[in-house]
Amino acid sequence: MPPIAQYVFNGVVTGGILALPAVAFSLLWRLLRFPNFAVSTYLTVGAYVALVLNHGVRAPIALAWLGALGVTGAVALGVDRIAFRPMRDRRPFSLAIASIGVAFILENVIRFVWGNDFRSYDVPVTRSLSVAGLRVGRDQLLILGVAVILMALAQTFLLRTRLGIAMRATADNPQLAAVKGVPTERVIALATVGGGALAGGAGVFLGLDASIDPLMGGGLIISVFAAAILGGVGSAPGALAGAVIVGLMEEVGTLAVPPTYKTAIGFTIILAVLLVRPTGLAGARS
Amino acid sequence: MTAYLTAIVTLVGVRALLTLGLNVQWGLAGLVNLGVVASFAVGAYTSALLAVGGTPLAVAWPAAIGLAAAAGAGLAMVALRLREDYLAIVTLGFAEVLRLFLLNEAWLTHGANGVTAIPRPLHGQFAAHYDLFYLVLVLGAVALAYAALERLRRSPFGRVLRAIREDETVAAVAGKPVFRFKVQAFALGAGVAGLAGILFAHYLAYVEPNMFLPQESLFVWLALILGGSGNNRGALLGSAVLLGLLEGSRFAKDVIPFLTGVRLAAAQQILVGVVLVALMIRRPEGLLPEKPGSA
Repeated sequence: MPPIAQYVFNGVVTGGILALPAVAFSLLWRLLRFPNFAVSTYLTVGAYVALVLNHGVRAPIALAWLGALGVTGAVALGVDRIAFRPMRDRRPFSLAIASIGVAFILENVIRFVWGNDFRSYDVPVTRSLSVAGLRVGRDQLLILGVAVILMALAQTFLLRTRLGIAMRATADNPQLAAVKGVPTERVIALATVGGGALAGGAGVFLGLDASIDPLMGGGLIISVFAAAILGGVGSAPGALAGAVIVGLMEEVGTLAVPPTYKTAIGFTIILAVLLVRPTGLAGARS
Repeated sequence: MTAYLTAIVTLVGVRALLTLGLNVQWGLAGLVNLGVVASFAVGAYTSALLAVGGTPLAVAWPAAIGLAAAAGAGLAMVALRLREDYLAIVTLGFAEVLRLFLLNEAWLTHGANGVTAIPRPLHGQFAAHYDLFYLVLVLGAVALAYAALERLRRSPFGRVLRAIREDETVAAVAGKPVFRFKVQAFALGAGVAGLAGILFAHYLAYVEPNMFLPQESLFVWLALILGGSGNNRGALLGSAVLLGLLEGSRFAKDVIPFLTGVRLAAAQQILVGVVLVALMIRRPEGLLPEKPGSA
């Protein structure tokens, strides 16, 4: 049996992948005030976009990854325009239900075209490195590195740029921000495209680290939710920390419970956080 | 053709019970439950396992309804303190964890093989026209549940639930124990969904964990919103239209040649998703909206 450190390392990689949709999900939740269940399905969209580029036009995986960022961002924007924008003033739960419908549509469009088979990218096989007795895949290091860079960029954007500050202002108080001249719809569009792109990129990572199938993203919704709640809804660094904790617990947890119960670990984290703080770690604001 | 129609109407009846159950929770009391399929599964599995183990159905059925209602009450006591959006994920997660339990704890649930040879009630007496008998049984259960829930809706209990749905602070100020009412409504709806599970299990004589995927809960939501939530007639209509939609698209296979099994299933589910999203945007009140102030 591999040492515990191996599980810890795998958990950190899982957490790094999970962090991207978790940050997107968390920020969009705060900005639009409903949990968008379609975010985890954007991973699947991104993974298949890259699959088409990688298999269809023989694009190297890095290029396919960039394509996945762009196309998934555009898909997310299209979804927002068609489904969510007409419902901006409705109660959050109506939007949540609509987002589940959207996730269902996207997942089944993918299933319609590509079927249920597991697929993988055409990438050169590399040998894993051996670091202090641990098996460390080159892909895993790359994924972790890119995830950290993307998180840093997102955080810098939110804290340092005019648009990022406008986004945080809108999340805090949409009316006040609008009165102060923040173009609310443009901020929402930007966050939607950015969030979609982050999730789509994470989908390619997940496809490299594991495999590609129509349920790969949708199946993560509970983990993404757990990361967002653990980190406090609306906080990018919080979602990152939450994602790493969820990833770690899910991987290390397989020492104690069968891996088929992974979803149950995320669910337990959600329950534990909410039972201590029924309004979530973000506090009483809603 | 008669056999096909009998089967379809029986399944509409099962779906109608599920939708009536959700209508108590969401339609009347305004309680979010994205894990309707959990109560369905508890009812189906409890009754199936008891019956296969030799328990008479007269004991197994009430026990299964009781356990489904108790599980609903338990979940409600934990979850109903939460905000709506958290409640959505907790109920969804509960149903998914329950499915993993059914899949993994083979010592109790027979795991992925499922429970087979579930006894069919009164099979000896009605052997010749069994499916017709079962149809009458299901329709009888739907009629009974409908009548009881319609009565409940007009009763003081139902009025309190609707008051809680509209504004729970006002209901609390009026001296109503809001939390207790919510837990009761949730348990009652779960019991009705449990009954649907029982009828489903003994009809097919077979249950397995993947009959209880999260998408089943979504179908129940679609039926309820389609028909008009808050309205028991709407729940019945929505279930019938939903199954018509699913079954009708099955015939598309004969017309469109490249529609294979997987593609057909995907196309049906795309249709379900599109109808749901379009309804939420255009007509959230459904085909038969609840009449304001209808007592």
